[in-house]
Amino acid sequence: MRSSRIAGRRAAAAASAVLAAVALAGCDAGGAGSILDKSTLRIGVKADQPGLGLKRPDGTFEGFDVDVARYVAGRLGFAEEDITFVETPSSVREQALQERRVDMIVATYSITAGRKTKVTFAGPYYVAHQDTLVRAGDGAVRNVRDLSGRRLCKVTGSNSWRRVTEERKVPARLVETSSYSDCVNRLLSGELDAVSTDDLILAGFAARYGDRVKIINAPISDEKYGIGLHKSDIDGCEAINTALTQMYQDGTARRLLDKWFGRTSLRTNPYVPQFEGCG
Amino acid sequence: MSSTVRRPASPHPSAATRRPGAPARPRRRLHLRTVPARIRALTAVVLVAVAALFGTASWAIGNARTGLEVIGHDAGPQVMVTGDLFFALSDMDAQVATVLLLGRDHRLGRGRAAALERYEQRRSEANRALLQAAQLAGDDPIERRTVQAVLDGLGRYERLAGQAMQLDQEPQYAHPAGRPSPRVLELYRQAGELMKLELLPQAYNLTLESGSIVRKTYESKHWSVRAGRVGVLAAGLAVVAALLVLQWYLARRFRRLLNPALVLATLGVLAVTLPAAGLLDSLAGRLQSAKRDGFDSVLALSRARAISNSAYADESRYLLDPARADTYEQVYFDKSQAILYLDAERTKSLTDYHAGVGPAVERFVTGGRAQVDFLGFFGDQARRAEPGTSRARALAEVLTGYRAFQEGDRRLRELVAAGRPAEALAQHLQADAFERYDAALVRLAEQHRTAFTGAIADGDRRLRGWHVALPGACAVIAVLVLLGVRPRLAEYR
Repeated sequence: MRSSRIAGRRAAAAASAVLAAVALAGCDAGGAGSILDKSTLRIGVKADQPGLGLKRPDGTFEGFDVDVARYVAGRLGFAEEDITFVETPSSVREQALQERRVDMIVATYSITAGRKTKVTFAGPYYVAHQDTLVRAGDGAVRNVRDLSGRRLCKVTGSNSWRRVTEERKVPARLVETSSYSDCVNRLLSGELDAVSTDDLILAGFAARYGDRVKIINAPISDEKYGIGLHKSDIDGCEAINTALTQMYQDGTARRLLDKWFGRTSLRTNPYVPQFEGCG
Repeated sequence: MSSTVRRPASPHPSAATRRPGAPARPRRRLHLRTVPARIRALTAVVLVAVAALFGTASWAIGNARTGLEVIGHDAGPQVMVTGDLFFALSDMDAQVATVLLLGRDHRLGRGRAAALERYEQRRSEANRALLQAAQLAGDDPIERRTVQAVLDGLGRYERLAGQAMQLDQEPQYAHPAGRPSPRVLELYRQAGELMKLELLPQAYNLTLESGSIVRKTYESKHWSVRAGRVGVLAAGLAVVAALLVLQWYLARRFRRLLNPALVLATLGVLAVTLPAAGLLDSLAGRLQSAKRDGFDSVLALSRARAISNSAYADESRYLLDPARADTYEQVYFDKSQAILYLDAERTKSLTDYHAGVGPAVERFVTGGRAQVDFLGFFGDQARRAEPGTSRARALAEVLTGYRAFQEGDRRLRELVAAGRPAEALAQHLQADAFERYDAALVRLAEQHRTAFTGAIADGDRRLRGWHVALPGACAVIAVLVLLGVRPRLAEYR
């Protein structure tokens, strides 16, 4: 009479199958796609902003953003050879994250409420302020309101120009360009009168062009530079926030700010910024 | 030849059951050709299934207990107290700004003495919150350093703020309400920067970090409880199935249809499984309610309150320090957007914001959460407010109060632009609209706090007794099974 034994075994097998299925189904809900589970990391950075994210002739990247990204990746457990930097222009940052072409973006990426609906932000890792760059000899512009009637640079995908024309309601004439390096070239050649954007970006260009340009030192807003992650990677976001706190506590942030902006007239803030929260 | 069964063997007369001429079998194989062996095997299956039921139920209930403990009695409440730190610090700074605005006119608005008293009260609240934060930090070196940094920074802030307030009262710096001397302003700017750039960010981050403990605990325990419920049902089903097979076999073999002990055991299994599954279901619901409705909302509202308070202080600074009026207005605008976010395309400046808040609030108050088109702290709250509940009403009150506060801000800036700063100052120091808004916020937060404690207390109540009832019931079932089987086996001795 094997039937009773078989019936008993079948019942037990069925029960354990159900339990196993339950275990597997519920298992991976939280960590799906978190950067903490990856073995290599693709980090999006800028390639045309000196001091922040710049591509060298040999194809490697350098800048404050790049160094911050390296530090954070190191704290998350990635070795130097597991990290790849990828150029990510302003206009495609959200898309690149949503399509997972990059795992994290450290590219002067300002945190705004609109972007927060598409992307999760760790940090900010620094709070910059918007300021204005003009030609060295141009003494007429000392305040953002002096930009009235003057030609102001507008870069596709960036929202810095709105603070001047829409928030402050200063009637500047907007000239459309593709990148900030293009803006500065046109400023020097006389096609524009002013470039208004984050002071760190301006400091990078000021250091490069020395006496030919100057920052007017009239800050008008807070720009929170965040580390962009795929939406809903909360574990990754929290781990990065811990790494950023360490970066400020162990003096690395102060050292990096000094390294990249110490020689400019800019006064940087070596204290940890208020984090957005990982949602 | 002895049959091997997976339980401690009892002396078993095997020789009589072996058929003559049949080949000898190796000792290790399971022999189920004999009736007692089969009965033993089935009983073993039943007992193993009962053990599995007990194991799964204990595991799930244990997880639920830990979840309620951590979220309801341990880290949860502590994190909520650290949330008060941000508010306490930012209100300290707001009171200093008020005191400096008053100058010689000690009786304007609520009065200098009241402002100083509030300053002291907030200082004490900040201390309490820091104590909790230090406890929560435990051994974590990064968090401990942050707590230490806030303590140190607070000392420096008090020195600077104290100097500014004292200097402001000296005869050569005395002034009517409105404009302190440049020397005093300079000290206040330093104190304000310390607060804004060092203390407030660290305080905010502390709450975020300790909040993550609660989040992780919740996610893991909530999942465990829900999985455990399915597991308990499956294990219960397995036990019932095995018992039914056993009873069917006994009925066939012995032609005795009912075995009372086994029938009782079967009913006993149902009496354990169904309530256990029901318990786990309700506990999962309590955990979710405590976390989402309670904890998350209390923290969010405490942040909203702190940011609102800071926005009020930005109005003070706007009046105090006209040289930086642009910056304070920009910062006020950013904070307003954080509290209640209006679409960036249509809201480019503070003027647009003032115009847009009224209609947005009106749409929610009349149309409920289907009509919510704003984000920010209040956007999240509004989307979750079920229409007709007291919570939705409380939220509507808060939003109406917020609208009135923004209306007051619009009038304030108009008065300043029209060259009537004294009227602006008087209106600002009276602070009626702001106080009403703040009181409504506190009431809403209280409702959520009550929901939190209620859910936790309910969960605790439901759990009472199960740590005795569960093992007891499973033991009884096992005994019943053995009692039911014993007489049948005895017939074979």
